Amino acid sequence: MAKIEEKQSKQKIEITDGVLIPARDDSSIFSAWRISFYGAIAALVVLPFLSPEPYSHVLKFIIGFDENWRFDIGNSGLVKTFEVTVLSIFFALFIGLLVGLGRISRISFINRLCTVYVEVIRGIPLLVQLFYIYYALAKFVKIMDISAAVIAMAICYGAYIGEIFRAGIQSIPKGQMEAALALGMSRSQAIYRIILPQTIKVVLPPIGNEFIALLKDSSLVSILAVSDLLRRGREYASTSFYYFETYTMVAIIYLILTLFFSRLVAIMEERMKINANQS
Amino acid sequence: MKKGIILFIVSLISVSFFMVSCSKDKTAVKKIVVATDATWPPMEYVDENKKIVGFDIDYLTAAAKEAGFEVEFQNTAWDGIFAGLAANKYDAVCSSVTITDERKKTMDFSIPYVSIGQTIVVKKELNGLEELSQFKGKKVGAQIGTTGAIEISKYKEITLKTYDEIGLAIEDLAKGRIDAVVCDNPIAANYALLNPKYKEVLKIVGKPFTTEEYGVAVAKGNKEVLDLINAGISKVKEKGIDKELEKKWLR
Repeated sequence: MAKIEEKQSKQKIEITDGVLIPARDDSSIFSAWRISFYGAIAALVVLPFLSPEPYSHVLKFIIGFDENWRFDIGNSGLVKTFEVTVLSIFFALFIGLLVGLGRISRISFINRLCTVYVEVIRGIPLLVQLFYIYYALAKFVKIMDISAAVIAMAICYGAYIGEIFRAGIQSIPKGQMEAALALGMSRSQAIYRIILPQTIKVVLPPIGNEFIALLKDSSLVSILAVSDLLRRGREYASTSFYYFETYTMVAIIYLILTLFFSRLVAIMEERMKINANQS
Repeated sequence: MKKGIILFIVSLISVSFFMVSCSKDKTAVKKIVVATDATWPPMEYVDENKKIVGFDIDYLTAAAKEAGFEVEFQNTAWDGIFAGLAANKYDAVCSSVTITDERKKTMDFSIPYVSIGQTIVVKKELNGLEELSQFKGKKVGAQIGTTGAIEISKYKEITLKTYDEIGLAIEDLAKGRIDAVVCDNPIAANYALLNPKYKEVLKIVGKPFTTEEYGVAVAKGNKEVLDLINAGISKVKEKGIDKELEKKWLR
Protein backbone atom coordinates (compact mmCIF):
# COMPACT_ATOMS: atom_id res chain seq x y z
CA MET A 1 0.00 0.00 0.00
CA ALA A 2 0.98 3.59 -0.16
CA LYS A 3 3.44 4.81 2.33
CA ILE A 4 3.32 8.45 3.00
CA GLU A 5 6.25 10.57 3.81
CA GLU A 6 5.63 13.85 5.43
CA LYS A 7 7.70 16.72 4.26
CA GLN A 8 6.88 20.15 5.49
CA SER A 9 8.49 21.96 2.62
CA LYS A 10 7.45 20.02 -0.46
CA GLN A 11 4.10 18.37 0.39
CA LYS A 12 5.23 15.31 -1.46
CA ILE A 13 3.73 11.90 -0.92
CA GLU A 14 5.95 9.03 -1.76
CA ILE A 15 4.53 5.77 -2.98
CA THR A 16 6.32 2.51 -2.36
CA ASP A 17 4.04 0.67 -4.75
CA GLY A 18 5.77 2.67 -7.45
CA VAL A 19 5.76 0.03 -10.15
CA LEU A 20 2.15 0.83 -10.79
CA ILE A 21 2.86 4.37 -11.83
CA PRO A 22 5.07 4.82 -14.87
CA ALA A 23 8.05 7.09 -14.46
CA ARG A 24 7.32 10.44 -15.99
CA ASP A 25 10.72 11.03 -17.48
CA ASP A 26 10.72 7.69 -19.26
CA SER A 27 9.58 9.00 -22.61
CA SER A 28 11.33 6.64 -25.01
CA ILE A 29 9.19 4.65 -27.43
CA PHE A 30 10.14 1.42 -25.67
CA SER A 31 9.25 2.43 -22.16
CA ALA A 32 8.30 -0.42 -19.85
CA TRP A 33 4.73 0.80 -19.79
CA ARG A 34 4.42 0.94 -23.58
CA ILE A 35 5.94 -2.50 -24.03
CA SER A 36 3.59 -4.12 -21.55
CA PHE A 37 0.47 -2.18 -22.50
CA TYR A 38 0.70 -2.53 -26.26
CA GLY A 39 2.07 -6.05 -25.90
CA ALA A 40 -0.98 -7.03 -23.88
CA ILE A 41 -3.35 -5.42 -26.37
CA ALA A 42 -1.58 -7.14 -29.24
CA ALA A 43 -1.89 -10.49 -27.46
CA LEU A 44 -5.58 -9.82 -26.80
CA VAL A 45 -6.21 -9.21 -30.48
CA VAL A 46 -3.80 -11.66 -32.08
CA LEU A 47 -4.48 -14.77 -29.97
CA PRO A 48 -8.24 -15.01 -30.71
CA PHE A 49 -7.49 -14.23 -34.35
CA LEU A 50 -4.85 -16.94 -34.71
CA SER A 51 -6.72 -19.66 -32.84
CA PRO A 52 -10.41 -18.79 -32.37
CA GLU A 53 -10.90 -22.09 -30.56
CA PRO A 54 -10.54 -21.60 -27.63
CA TYR A 55 -9.25 -18.01 -27.29
CA SER A 56 -12.15 -16.21 -28.88
CA HIS A 57 -14.62 -18.39 -26.96
CA VAL A 58 -12.85 -17.58 -23.72
CA LEU A 59 -13.01 -13.89 -24.56
CA LYS A 60 -16.71 -14.10 -25.43
CA PHE A 61 -17.45 -15.94 -22.23
CA ILE A 62 -15.58 -13.75 -19.78
CA ILE A 63 -16.34 -10.37 -21.32
CA GLY A 64 -19.93 -11.39 -21.95
CA PHE A 65 -20.71 -11.57 -25.64
CA ASP A 66 -23.34 -14.02 -26.85
CA GLU A 67 -22.96 -16.23 -29.95
CA ASN A 68 -23.50 -13.32 -32.33
CA TRP A 69 -20.98 -11.09 -30.55
CA ARG A 70 -23.75 -9.01 -29.03
CA PHE A 71 -22.78 -7.55 -25.68
CA ASP A 72 -24.76 -9.10 -22.87
CA ILE A 73 -24.37 -6.74 -19.95
CA GLY A 74 -25.95 -9.07 -17.37
CA ASN A 75 -23.46 -11.85 -18.06
CA SER A 76 -20.36 -9.71 -18.38
CA GLY A 77 -17.54 -10.50 -16.02
CA LEU A 78 -15.86 -7.25 -17.04
CA VAL A 79 -18.90 -5.16 -16.09
CA LYS A 80 -19.18 -7.00 -12.76
CA THR A 81 -15.53 -6.31 -11.98
CA PHE A 82 -16.03 -2.61 -12.75
CA GLU A 83 -19.22 -2.52 -10.75
CA VAL A 84 -17.52 -3.94 -7.67
CA THR A 85 -14.44 -1.73 -8.09
CA VAL A 86 -16.25 1.57 -8.67
CA LEU A 87 -18.84 1.06 -5.94
CA SER A 88 -16.15 -0.07 -3.49
CA ILE A 89 -13.83 2.86 -4.15
CA PHE A 90 -16.76 5.27 -3.82
CA PHE A 91 -17.73 3.98 -0.38
CA ALA A 92 -14.10 3.51 0.61
CA LEU A 93 -13.41 7.20 -0.14
CA PHE A 94 -16.36 8.19 2.01
CA ILE A 95 -15.26 5.94 4.89
CA GLY A 96 -11.64 6.99 4.37
CA LEU A 97 -12.42 10.69 4.62
CA LEU A 98 -14.37 10.19 7.84
CA VAL A 99 -11.64 8.00 9.30
CA GLY A 100 -8.90 10.39 8.20
CA LEU A 101 -10.67 13.28 9.92
CA GLY A 102 -11.37 11.09 12.92
CA ARG A 103 -7.70 10.17 13.19
CA ILE A 104 -6.70 13.84 13.61
CA SER A 105 -9.69 14.63 15.79
CA ARG A 106 -9.03 16.14 19.20
CA ILE A 107 -11.99 14.32 20.69
CA SER A 108 -10.19 11.33 22.13
CA PHE A 109 -13.16 8.95 21.81
CA ILE A 110 -13.50 9.50 18.05
CA ASN A 111 -9.75 9.47 17.60
CA ARG A 112 -9.42 6.17 19.47
CA LEU A 113 -12.37 4.64 17.63
CA CYS A 114 -10.93 5.46 14.20
CA THR A 115 -7.47 4.28 15.17
CA VAL A 116 -8.83 0.98 16.44
CA TYR A 117 -10.77 0.56 13.20
CA VAL A 118 -7.65 1.15 11.12
CA GLU A 119 -5.56 -1.20 13.25
CA VAL A 120 -8.14 -3.98 13.21
CA ILE A 121 -8.94 -3.81 9.51
CA ARG A 122 -5.34 -3.53 8.39
CA GLY A 123 -4.51 -6.57 10.48
CA ILE A 124 -7.00 -8.89 8.79
CA PRO A 125 -6.44 -10.22 5.28
CA LEU A 126 -9.01 -9.00 2.78
CA LEU A 127 -9.88 -12.57 1.84
CA VAL A 128 -10.73 -13.35 5.45
CA GLN A 129 -12.78 -10.15 5.71
CA LEU A 130 -14.76 -11.14 2.62
CA PHE A 131 -15.55 -14.56 4.05
CA TYR A 132 -16.36 -12.98 7.37
CA ILE A 133 -18.81 -10.42 6.07
CA TYR A 134 -20.43 -12.80 3.60
CA TYR A 135 -20.71 -16.03 5.57
CA ALA A 136 -20.09 -15.23 9.23
CA LEU A 137 -22.18 -12.06 9.50
CA ALA A 138 -24.96 -13.70 7.47
CA LYS A 139 -25.96 -15.17 10.81
CA PHE A 140 -27.28 -11.75 11.83
CA VAL A 141 -27.94 -9.77 8.66
CA LYS A 142 -28.72 -10.90 5.15
CA ILE A 143 -26.55 -9.08 2.65
CA MET A 144 -26.93 -9.96 -1.01
CA ASP A 145 -23.84 -11.16 -2.85
CA ILE A 146 -22.56 -8.08 -4.61
CA SER A 147 -23.37 -5.74 -1.70
CA ALA A 148 -21.48 -8.02 0.67
CA ALA A 149 -18.49 -7.83 -1.65
CA VAL A 150 -18.72 -4.06 -1.95
CA ILE A 151 -19.17 -3.57 1.80
CA ALA A 152 -16.18 -5.75 2.62
CA MET A 153 -13.94 -4.07 0.05
CA ALA A 154 -15.08 -0.60 1.14
CA ILE A 155 -14.49 -1.33 4.82
CA CYS A 156 -11.05 -2.73 4.07
CA TYR A 157 -9.90 -0.02 1.71
CA GLY A 158 -11.56 2.65 3.86
CA ALA A 159 -8.90 1.95 6.47
CA TYR A 160 -6.02 2.36 4.02
CA ILE A 161 -7.53 5.43 2.39
CA GLY A 162 -8.20 6.85 5.85
CA GLU A 163 -4.46 6.67 6.50
CA ILE A 164 -3.80 8.46 3.23
CA PHE A 165 -6.20 11.24 4.17
CA ARG A 166 -4.65 11.55 7.63
CA ALA A 167 -1.13 11.79 6.27
CA GLY A 168 -2.35 14.15 3.55
CA ILE A 169 -3.92 16.48 6.08
CA GLN A 170 -0.85 16.35 8.29
CA SER A 171 1.39 17.10 5.33
CA ILE A 172 -0.16 20.56 4.94
CA PRO A 173 2.23 23.06 6.61
CA LYS A 174 1.20 24.05 10.12
CA GLY A 175 1.35 27.70 9.06
CA GLN A 176 -1.82 27.24 7.02
CA MET A 177 -3.81 26.26 10.05
CA GLU A 178 -2.24 28.94 12.21
CA ALA A 179 -2.99 31.61 9.62
CA ALA A 180 -6.61 30.45 9.34
CA LEU A 181 -7.03 30.51 13.10
CA ALA A 182 -5.41 33.94 13.24
CA LEU A 183 -7.97 35.18 10.72
CA GLY A 184 -10.68 34.19 13.15
CA MET A 185 -11.81 30.89 11.68
CA SER A 186 -12.73 28.04 13.98
CA ARG A 187 -10.67 24.85 13.79
CA SER A 188 -13.34 22.98 11.86
CA GLN A 189 -13.85 25.90 9.48
CA ALA A 190 -10.13 25.99 8.88
CA ILE A 191 -10.08 22.29 8.12
CA TYR A 192 -12.96 22.41 5.64
CA ARG A 193 -12.03 25.67 3.91
CA ILE A 194 -8.24 25.73 4.03
CA ILE A 195 -6.76 22.34 4.81
CA LEU A 196 -9.03 19.85 3.00
CA PRO A 197 -8.96 21.56 -0.42
CA GLN A 198 -5.17 21.43 -0.31
CA THR A 199 -5.23 17.87 0.96
CA ILE A 200 -7.26 16.66 -2.01
CA LYS A 201 -4.42 17.65 -4.33
CA VAL A 202 -1.85 15.81 -2.28
CA VAL A 203 -3.85 12.63 -1.78
CA LEU A 204 -5.22 12.18 -5.29
CA PRO A 205 -2.23 10.27 -6.71
CA PRO A 206 -2.00 7.76 -3.82
CA ILE A 207 -5.76 7.32 -3.95
CA GLY A 208 -5.50 6.59 -7.66
CA ASN A 209 -2.93 4.03 -6.70
CA GLU A 210 -5.33 2.50 -4.19
CA PHE A 211 -7.95 2.38 -6.93
CA ILE A 212 -5.64 0.25 -9.05
CA ALA A 213 -4.84 -1.99 -6.10
CA LEU A 214 -8.56 -2.34 -5.44
CA LEU A 215 -9.21 -3.21 -9.06
CA LYS A 216 -6.75 -6.07 -8.72
CA ASP A 217 -8.05 -7.15 -5.33
CA SER A 218 -11.59 -7.20 -6.69
CA SER A 219 -10.65 -10.56 -8.17
CA LEU A 220 -10.92 -11.89 -4.60
CA VAL A 221 -14.69 -11.42 -4.62
CA SER A 222 -14.91 -14.29 -7.07
CA ILE A 223 -14.89 -16.56 -4.01
CA LEU A 224 -18.26 -15.10 -3.01
CA ALA A 225 -19.79 -16.48 -6.21
CA VAL A 226 -19.79 -12.94 -7.66
CA SER A 227 -19.39 -13.56 -11.37
CA ASP A 228 -16.51 -11.18 -12.02
CA LEU A 229 -13.75 -11.63 -14.60
CA LEU A 230 -11.89 -14.27 -12.64
CA ARG A 231 -14.99 -16.27 -11.70
CA ARG A 232 -16.13 -16.25 -15.35
CA GLY A 233 -12.70 -17.46 -16.37
CA ARG A 234 -12.75 -20.21 -13.77
CA GLU A 235 -16.23 -21.27 -14.87
CA TYR A 236 -15.03 -21.53 -18.45
CA ALA A 237 -11.82 -23.37 -17.58
CA SER A 238 -13.47 -25.84 -15.23
CA THR A 239 -15.82 -27.17 -17.88
CA SER A 240 -13.71 -26.78 -21.02
CA PHE A 241 -10.34 -27.69 -19.43
CA TYR A 242 -8.60 -24.92 -21.40
CA TYR A 243 -6.81 -23.75 -18.27
CA PHE A 244 -3.79 -22.19 -19.95
CA GLU A 245 -5.77 -20.30 -22.56
CA THR A 246 -8.43 -19.08 -20.12
CA TYR A 247 -6.12 -17.76 -17.44
CA THR A 248 -3.88 -16.19 -20.07
CA MET A 249 -6.84 -14.17 -21.31
CA VAL A 250 -7.97 -13.26 -17.79
CA ALA A 251 -4.45 -12.11 -16.90
CA ILE A 252 -4.15 -10.05 -20.08
CA ILE A 253 -7.45 -8.27 -19.45
CA TYR A 254 -6.48 -7.41 -15.87
CA LEU A 255 -3.09 -6.22 -17.08
CA ILE A 256 -4.60 -3.93 -19.70
CA LEU A 257 -6.99 -2.46 -17.15
CA THR A 258 -4.36 -1.78 -14.51
CA LEU A 259 -1.85 -0.39 -16.99
CA PHE A 260 -4.50 1.86 -18.48
CA PHE A 261 -5.52 3.24 -15.10
CA SER A 262 -1.95 3.60 -13.87
CA ARG A 263 -1.30 5.79 -16.90
CA LEU A 264 -4.33 7.90 -16.03
CA VAL A 265 -3.07 8.30 -12.48
CA ALA A 266 0.36 9.30 -13.77
CA ILE A 267 -1.15 11.90 -16.11
CA MET A 268 -3.27 13.21 -13.26
CA GLU A 269 -0.23 13.51 -11.03
CA GLU A 270 1.59 15.40 -13.74
CA ARG A 271 -1.27 17.89 -14.13
CA MET A 272 -1.31 18.41 -10.37
CA LYS A 273 2.39 19.21 -10.44
CA ILE A 274 1.92 21.81 -13.15
CA ASN A 275 -0.96 23.39 -11.28
CA ALA A 276 1.03 23.43 -8.07
CA ASN A 277 3.98 25.12 -9.78
CA GLN A 278 1.80 27.80 -11.35
CA SER A 279 0.04 28.79 -8.16
CA MET B 1 36.37 -22.17 -5.53
CA LYS B 2 36.17 -24.20 -2.34
CA LYS B 3 32.50 -23.35 -2.03
CA GLY B 4 31.93 -24.46 -5.57
CA ILE B 5 33.47 -27.86 -4.91
CA ILE B 6 31.43 -28.36 -1.74
CA LEU B 7 28.28 -27.36 -3.56
CA PHE B 8 29.10 -29.79 -6.34
CA ILE B 9 29.65 -32.66 -3.93
CA VAL B 10 26.47 -31.88 -2.01
CA SER B 11 24.41 -31.80 -5.17
CA LEU B 12 26.03 -35.04 -6.37
CA ILE B 13 25.07 -36.76 -3.11
CA SER B 14 21.53 -35.47 -3.16
CA VAL B 15 21.03 -36.50 -6.78
CA SER B 16 22.26 -40.02 -6.05
CA PHE B 17 19.97 -40.22 -3.02
CA PHE B 18 17.11 -39.13 -5.21
CA MET B 19 17.89 -41.84 -7.75
CA VAL B 20 18.18 -44.50 -5.06
CA SER B 21 14.84 -43.53 -3.57
CA CYS B 22 13.26 -43.58 -7.03
CA SER B 23 14.50 -47.04 -7.82
CA LYS B 24 13.30 -48.23 -4.42
CA ASP B 25 9.79 -47.09 -5.27
CA LYS B 26 9.68 -49.23 -8.34
CA THR B 27 10.44 -52.47 -6.57
CA ALA B 28 7.86 -51.85 -3.85
CA VAL B 29 4.09 -52.06 -4.26
CA LYS B 30 2.81 -49.57 -6.81
CA LYS B 31 1.57 -46.48 -5.05
CA ILE B 32 -1.13 -44.45 -6.74
CA VAL B 33 -1.66 -40.86 -5.67
CA VAL B 34 -5.32 -39.95 -6.01
CA ALA B 35 -6.67 -36.40 -5.93
CA THR B 36 -10.03 -35.78 -4.36
CA ASP B 37 -11.97 -32.64 -3.56
CA ALA B 38 -13.03 -33.52 -0.04
CA THR B 39 -15.97 -31.10 0.17
CA TRP B 40 -18.63 -33.42 -1.17
CA PRO B 41 -20.24 -35.42 1.63
CA PRO B 42 -20.95 -38.32 1.80
CA MET B 43 -18.80 -39.21 -1.22
CA GLU B 44 -15.62 -37.58 0.05
CA TYR B 45 -15.17 -35.12 2.86
CA VAL B 46 -12.92 -34.28 5.78
CA ASP B 47 -14.23 -35.63 9.09
CA GLU B 48 -13.73 -34.26 12.62
CA ASN B 49 -10.34 -35.94 12.82
CA LYS B 50 -9.20 -34.14 9.65
CA LYS B 51 -9.14 -37.43 7.79
CA ILE B 52 -10.50 -37.73 4.29
CA VAL B 53 -13.39 -40.19 4.42
CA GLY B 54 -16.42 -41.14 2.35
CA PHE B 55 -17.87 -43.58 -0.14
CA ASP B 56 -15.30 -42.94 -2.88
CA ILE B 57 -12.44 -43.21 -0.41
CA ASP B 58 -13.65 -46.55 0.98
CA TYR B 59 -14.40 -47.82 -2.50
CA LEU B 60 -10.99 -47.06 -3.93
CA THR B 61 -9.22 -48.29 -0.81
CA ALA B 62 -11.08 -51.58 -1.16
CA ALA B 63 -10.23 -51.71 -4.86
CA ALA B 64 -6.57 -51.10 -4.04
CA LYS B 65 -6.57 -53.93 -1.54
CA GLU B 66 -8.13 -56.29 -4.08
CA ALA B 67 -5.81 -55.37 -6.93
CA GLY B 68 -2.70 -55.06 -4.78
CA PHE B 69 -1.69 -51.44 -5.00
CA GLU B 70 -1.43 -48.63 -2.50
CA VAL B 71 -3.49 -45.44 -2.62
CA GLU B 72 -2.69 -42.09 -1.16
CA PHE B 73 -5.41 -39.44 -1.19
CA GLN B 74 -4.59 -35.84 -1.77
CA ASN B 75 -7.14 -33.10 -1.09
CA THR B 76 -7.33 -30.82 -4.13
CA ALA B 77 -9.66 -27.94 -5.07
CA TRP B 78 -12.20 -29.01 -7.65
CA ASP B 79 -11.78 -26.29 -10.23
CA GLY B 80 -8.16 -27.14 -10.90
CA ILE B 81 -8.35 -30.86 -10.27
CA PHE B 82 -8.21 -31.92 -13.94
CA ALA B 83 -5.44 -29.46 -14.72
CA GLY B 84 -3.36 -31.14 -12.01
CA LEU B 85 -4.13 -34.53 -13.52
CA ALA B 86 -2.98 -33.37 -16.95
CA ALA B 87 0.18 -31.98 -15.37
CA ASN B 88 0.86 -35.34 -13.67
CA LYS B 89 0.70 -33.91 -10.17
CA TYR B 90 -1.13 -37.09 -9.19
CA ASP B 91 -2.01 -40.36 -10.93
CA ALA B 92 -5.79 -40.33 -10.72
CA VAL B 93 -8.84 -38.33 -9.69
CA CYS B 94 -11.47 -40.10 -7.65
CA SER B 95 -13.83 -37.37 -6.61
CA SER B 96 -17.38 -38.15 -7.78
CA VAL B 97 -16.31 -37.52 -11.34
CA THR B 98 -19.17 -38.06 -13.77
CA ILE B 99 -18.07 -39.71 -17.00
CA THR B 100 -18.98 -37.30 -19.83
CA ASP B 101 -18.02 -37.23 -23.49
CA GLU B 102 -16.56 -33.76 -23.03
CA ARG B 103 -14.29 -34.96 -20.23
CA LYS B 104 -13.33 -38.11 -22.16
CA LYS B 105 -11.59 -35.89 -24.69
CA THR B 106 -9.00 -34.78 -22.15
CA MET B 107 -8.74 -37.78 -19.81
CA ASP B 108 -9.37 -41.52 -19.58
CA PHE B 109 -11.95 -43.07 -17.29
CA SER B 110 -12.11 -46.33 -15.39
CA ILE B 111 -15.19 -48.52 -15.61
CA PRO B 112 -18.11 -46.80 -13.83
CA TYR B 113 -18.39 -47.64 -10.13
CA VAL B 114 -21.67 -46.05 -9.08
CA SER B 115 -24.53 -44.23 -10.78
CA ILE B 116 -26.27 -41.12 -9.52
CA GLY B 117 -28.43 -38.27 -10.82
CA GLN B 118 -28.68 -34.51 -10.48
CA THR B 119 -31.24 -33.32 -7.93
CA ILE B 120 -32.69 -29.96 -6.99
CA VAL B 121 -32.55 -28.76 -3.39
CA VAL B 122 -34.75 -25.84 -2.32
CA LYS B 123 -35.96 -24.23 0.88
CA LYS B 124 -38.82 -25.92 2.71
CA GLU B 125 -41.19 -22.99 2.07
CA LEU B 126 -40.83 -23.15 -1.70
CA ASN B 127 -43.65 -25.17 -3.28
CA GLY B 128 -44.70 -25.92 -6.83
CA LEU B 129 -41.29 -25.84 -8.48
CA GLU B 130 -40.00 -29.29 -9.25
CA GLU B 131 -38.14 -29.10 -12.53
CA LEU B 132 -35.17 -27.02 -13.53
CA SER B 133 -37.13 -25.46 -16.42
CA GLN B 134 -39.48 -23.91 -13.86
CA PHE B 135 -36.68 -21.90 -12.29
CA LYS B 136 -36.48 -19.33 -15.09
CA GLY B 137 -35.55 -15.89 -13.84
CA LYS B 138 -34.30 -17.31 -10.56
CA LYS B 139 -30.85 -17.80 -9.10
CA VAL B 140 -29.67 -21.39 -8.97
CA GLY B 141 -26.35 -22.42 -7.46
CA ALA B 142 -23.94 -25.29 -8.05
CA GLN B 143 -20.31 -26.11 -7.51
CA ILE B 144 -18.07 -24.71 -10.23
CA GLY B 145 -17.32 -27.12 -13.07
CA THR B 146 -19.70 -29.85 -11.90
CA THR B 147 -22.32 -31.55 -14.04
CA GLY B 148 -24.90 -29.69 -11.93
CA ALA B 149 -23.48 -26.37 -13.11
CA ILE B 150 -23.40 -27.62 -16.70
CA GLU B 151 -27.09 -28.67 -16.49
CA ILE B 152 -28.11 -25.25 -15.13
CA SER B 153 -26.14 -23.40 -17.80
CA LYS B 154 -28.28 -25.14 -20.45
CA TYR B 155 -31.12 -22.81 -19.39
CA LYS B 156 -30.19 -19.31 -20.53
CA GLU B 157 -32.89 -17.64 -18.41
CA ILE B 158 -31.61 -19.08 -15.15
CA THR B 159 -28.93 -17.10 -13.37
CA LEU B 160 -26.22 -19.63 -12.57
CA LYS B 161 -24.15 -18.96 -9.48
CA THR B 162 -21.05 -21.08 -9.17
CA TYR B 163 -19.39 -21.78 -5.84
CA ASP B 164 -15.98 -23.16 -4.96
CA GLU B 165 -17.57 -25.70 -2.67
CA ILE B 166 -21.04 -27.21 -2.61
CA GLY B 167 -21.28 -26.45 1.12
CA LEU B 168 -21.07 -22.72 0.43
CA ALA B 169 -23.90 -23.01 -2.12
CA ILE B 170 -26.05 -24.90 0.39
CA GLU B 171 -25.31 -22.26 3.03
CA ASP B 172 -26.34 -19.48 0.63
CA LEU B 173 -29.53 -21.38 -0.17
CA ALA B 174 -30.34 -21.72 3.52
CA LYS B 175 -29.69 -17.97 3.93
CA GLY B 176 -32.05 -17.23 1.05
CA ARG B 177 -29.50 -15.66 -1.27
CA ILE B 178 -30.28 -18.17 -4.03
CA ASP B 179 -33.45 -20.10 -4.87
CA ALA B 180 -32.12 -23.60 -5.48
CA VAL B 181 -28.99 -25.74 -5.61
CA VAL B 182 -28.36 -28.52 -8.11
CA CYS B 183 -26.03 -31.36 -7.11
CA ASP B 184 -25.62 -35.14 -7.18
CA ASN B 185 -28.42 -36.92 -5.30
CA PRO B 186 -26.26 -38.51 -2.55
CA ILE B 187 -24.91 -35.07 -1.68
CA ALA B 188 -28.36 -33.50 -1.82
CA ALA B 189 -29.65 -36.22 0.49
CA ASN B 190 -26.74 -35.73 2.86
CA TYR B 191 -27.44 -32.02 3.25
CA ALA B 192 -31.24 -31.90 3.03
CA LEU B 193 -32.12 -35.10 4.90
CA LEU B 194 -29.26 -35.87 7.29
CA ASN B 195 -27.41 -32.67 8.12
CA PRO B 196 -28.71 -31.45 11.49
CA LYS B 197 -28.21 -27.82 10.50
CA TYR B 198 -30.04 -27.98 7.18
CA LYS B 199 -32.60 -30.77 7.38
CA GLU B 200 -35.17 -28.48 9.00
CA VAL B 201 -34.69 -25.77 6.39
CA LEU B 202 -34.09 -27.54 3.08
CA LYS B 203 -35.82 -30.21 1.01
CA ILE B 204 -35.28 -32.14 -2.21
CA VAL B 205 -37.83 -31.63 -4.99
CA GLY B 206 -38.60 -33.87 -7.96
CA LYS B 207 -36.67 -36.93 -8.98
CA PRO B 208 -33.05 -37.03 -10.10
CA PHE B 209 -33.28 -35.63 -13.63
CA THR B 210 -30.08 -37.03 -15.11
CA THR B 211 -28.46 -40.45 -15.06
CA GLU B 212 -24.74 -40.23 -14.58
CA GLU B 213 -21.98 -42.62 -13.77
CA TYR B 214 -18.94 -41.93 -11.66
CA GLY B 215 -15.57 -43.11 -12.87
CA VAL B 216 -11.98 -42.70 -11.73
CA ALA B 217 -10.15 -40.34 -14.08
CA VAL B 218 -6.53 -40.80 -15.12
CA ALA B 219 -4.36 -38.81 -17.47
CA LYS B 220 -4.92 -39.59 -21.15
CA GLY B 221 -3.02 -42.76 -22.05
CA ASN B 222 -1.97 -43.72 -18.51
CA LYS B 223 -2.83 -47.38 -19.11
CA GLU B 224 -0.73 -48.78 -16.25
CA VAL B 225 -2.71 -46.99 -13.55
CA LEU B 226 -6.02 -47.40 -15.34
CA ASP B 227 -5.63 -51.19 -15.59
CA LEU B 228 -4.83 -51.48 -11.89
CA ILE B 229 -7.85 -49.39 -10.92
CA ASN B 230 -10.16 -51.25 -13.30
CA ALA B 231 -9.00 -54.59 -11.94
CA GLY B 232 -9.69 -53.36 -8.40
CA ILE B 233 -13.14 -52.03 -9.23
CA SER B 234 -14.25 -55.24 -10.95
CA LYS B 235 -13.09 -57.32 -8.00
CA VAL B 236 -14.96 -55.05 -5.58
CA LYS B 237 -18.09 -55.52 -7.68
CA GLU B 238 -17.57 -59.29 -7.91
CA LYS B 239 -17.26 -59.69 -4.18
CA GLY B 240 -20.26 -57.45 -3.50
CA ILE B 241 -18.21 -55.02 -1.42
CA ASP B 242 -19.76 -52.17 -3.39
CA LYS B 243 -23.26 -53.04 -2.10
CA GLU B 244 -21.99 -52.92 1.49
CA LEU B 245 -20.39 -49.55 0.90
CA GLU B 246 -23.55 -48.20 -0.71
CA LYS B 247 -25.49 -49.35 2.33
CA LYS B 248 -22.96 -47.76 4.65
CA TRP B 249 -22.68 -44.37 2.94
CA LEU B 250 -25.61 -43.84 0.57
CA ARG B 251 -28.60 -45.62 2.10
